[in-house]
Amino acid sequence: MKRASLILVIAALLLAAPVLQGFSQAQVASAQDPIKLVFWNYWDGTNGEKIQELVDRYNEEHPEVEIENVFVGWGELLPKLQLAVAGGDAPDLAAADMVWMPALANSGALVPLNSFIEASGTDTSDFYPALLSVNTYNDQIYGLPVSTNNLELFINTDLFEAAGLDASTPPTTWDELAADAAQCANPDNGVVGMELYTQPGEGLTWQFQVYLWGAGGDFLSEDLTQAAFNSEAGLKALNFWLSLIDSGAYTLSDWGLFGQGQACMVLDGSWMVGGMAESAPFNWTTAAMPAPADGQPATNMGGEHAFIMAQDEAKQQAAWDFINWLTSTDVQIEWDEATAFMPVRDSVATNEAYVTWINENEPRLLPFVDMQQYAHNRPPVEQYSELSDVFSAMIERALYGQMDPQEALDAAEAAVNSLLS
Amino acid sequence: MTAMARVRAGWQHANRRGDVSAAAMALAPAVILFAIFNIYPLIYSGYLSVMEWDGFSPDKSYVGLDNYRALYESATFRNALSVTLKYTLSVAVLGVAVSLVIAVLLNSGVRGQNIYRLVYFLPVVTSTVAAAVVWRYLMTPGTGYADVFLRDLGITPPNPTWLRNPTWALRIVMLVGIWKRLGFNIVIYLAGLQNIPKEFYEAATVDGAGIWARFRHITVPLISPITLLLVIMSIIDSFLIFDVVYVMTDGGPIGTTEVVGLLLYREAFRYFNLGTASAMGWVIFALVFAITLVQWKFFGTREAGL
Repeated sequence: MKRASLILVIAALLLAAPVLQGFSQAQVASAQDPIKLVFWNYWDGTNGEKIQELVDRYNEEHPEVEIENVFVGWGELLPKLQLAVAGGDAPDLAAADMVWMPALANSGALVPLNSFIEASGTDTSDFYPALLSVNTYNDQIYGLPVSTNNLELFINTDLFEAAGLDASTPPTTWDELAADAAQCANPDNGVVGMELYTQPGEGLTWQFQVYLWGAGGDFLSEDLTQAAFNSEAGLKALNFWLSLIDSGAYTLSDWGLFGQGQACMVLDGSWMVGGMAESAPFNWTTAAMPAPADGQPATNMGGEHAFIMAQDEAKQQAAWDFINWLTSTDVQIEWDEATAFMPVRDSVATNEAYVTWINENEPRLLPFVDMQQYAHNRPPVEQYSELSDVFSAMIERALYGQMDPQEALDAAEAAVNSLLS
Repeated sequence: MTAMARVRAGWQHANRRGDVSAAAMALAPAVILFAIFNIYPLIYSGYLSVMEWDGFSPDKSYVGLDNYRALYESATFRNALSVTLKYTLSVAVLGVAVSLVIAVLLNSGVRGQNIYRLVYFLPVVTSTVAAAVVWRYLMTPGTGYADVFLRDLGITPPNPTWLRNPTWALRIVMLVGIWKRLGFNIVIYLAGLQNIPKEFYEAATVDGAGIWARFRHITVPLISPITLLLVIMSIIDSFLIFDVVYVMTDGGPIGTTEVVGLLLYREAFRYFNLGTASAMGWVIFALVFAITLVQWKFFGTREAGL
């Protein structure tokens, strides 16, 4: 029995050790120590390197603060935030997908920024209103945009040439797009003409919205209380996708064909430009996304917004100071040049040095910069994720011929309206 | 002193000292961990399943059985249950049957048995997500090995492509599920096969029984307790399928691979409906519990002898 009690004592000591250690560290901590902040975001690759560099520099210039930059994958960020809030272990600040912002702002887990914005005299009118609107809930601003992007046409010039097409005269209408795609597709080698995103979920919805807006439609009513996509424009957009499938210009398939050199064209984001310039094993260029001949130019915007979750007031202030710095014009220009994100502020987009830099370094970004003015915003409603899933599930049924297009739009409208009611 | 007597003496010794607390101490870590990580979440999710909660806010509101009623009425959930059942039964029945055949072949004295065992067991110790990514890569349209191989044979790959094809997607997911468990089943079967006395086979051979008759009338009945164990384990594991589907198909196309685990994940972590998600969890728990009980009741006791 002696041995048993000895083992128990040792076990108890081992278990207690971290607690004791933590206690003594807390004792040592004093007022001069920097305020430690934990910053979660999902930027990776070039973007991840740049945010790390910016955080490091900020830490160096501000010895009173120590920000720890933590990468959390896009798919894990929301679940982890949720668990962290429930466990009282939330990060002090984070940057997340703009499409989650209404739900986050509504959750009560974010710190309203109005008083900080006023105190530091930040001019929020310089941010694009469509971006700022997703963070605004009950007249309070809960986050600031850090980066944005939009979707335009990517063209594989090698495949274009092989099919006898010229990428320097890209399609400018839906009809031209359909014709070029049909001519370029090569079913024998599994090459599609125009890649569509046809897996259910937000990927499908946010691509489809570009066609919907291009045809002159809208996704939700202006007051965001009901679906608006079940319209002539919605039907036109859906029929256009179906015509691409029927003509063999697109084969229902996993997303990602363009990156593998298996698609002539794709609608994709400005964030692809940097990585593809480095590593795509084929020649490619970009162009503005065509609209129908009687439609209007349109695209969808995405991006990340930074917000504060810290409970402690000193930490809230320190987190705000960092966000205010990160979203300032000068830092934004540096950030956009390194990451190929689109400007979130007018003062960046019109900055002469920035525009010159793009022209000289990566003219393939120009269609994105030009089209940012036509970028729509996904409806800032709390239920957006679920709404997007049920919408895309119905569109998918139409694409697989399980429902006719009108039937699918009716069903999607009913499902979306019941979520919004 | 025989081993048994020594153990008994040890127990008496312990009891004489009245030191039950030592036993309690020894068991405590396992019991505490089980309580924290299994019992507590179970009870808590039962509580959440009758509440409405977004996972963030401090307020939860009581909604009674509304969450369960909504599931009962939801066509999506019914579809998910049926997909999950289809997947589970296929993996349990086919997976166990195939592994029995392979185990018998391996047991019949094939050369290089250890290499085969290794090959079949590798998937078991591979991370499921990594394996699913590789399978997805194999099935990539156009450039994936499956497509390239078929084209070389002059066969046109399916349209829509594999994982986007309503006929093929679930089959491929099932194949991965079976392939992943195969090695585990085989190892357990091999251990069981060693325990069947050689005399039975020798006697049957003398009586003129062929390979099939010996397999059918000796191997299958004598190995059946292990079959039962493997089927139950396969059913429990397969019912909780999530990772393979999440990586390979995300439930598509048109819901043909949308399993309950995936719906649960979406409700909890994408739509912030913790109540609905917990109710789903309890439905799965009740189903697996019931299936397991039935299996033990009807098949378990009969074979308990071995």
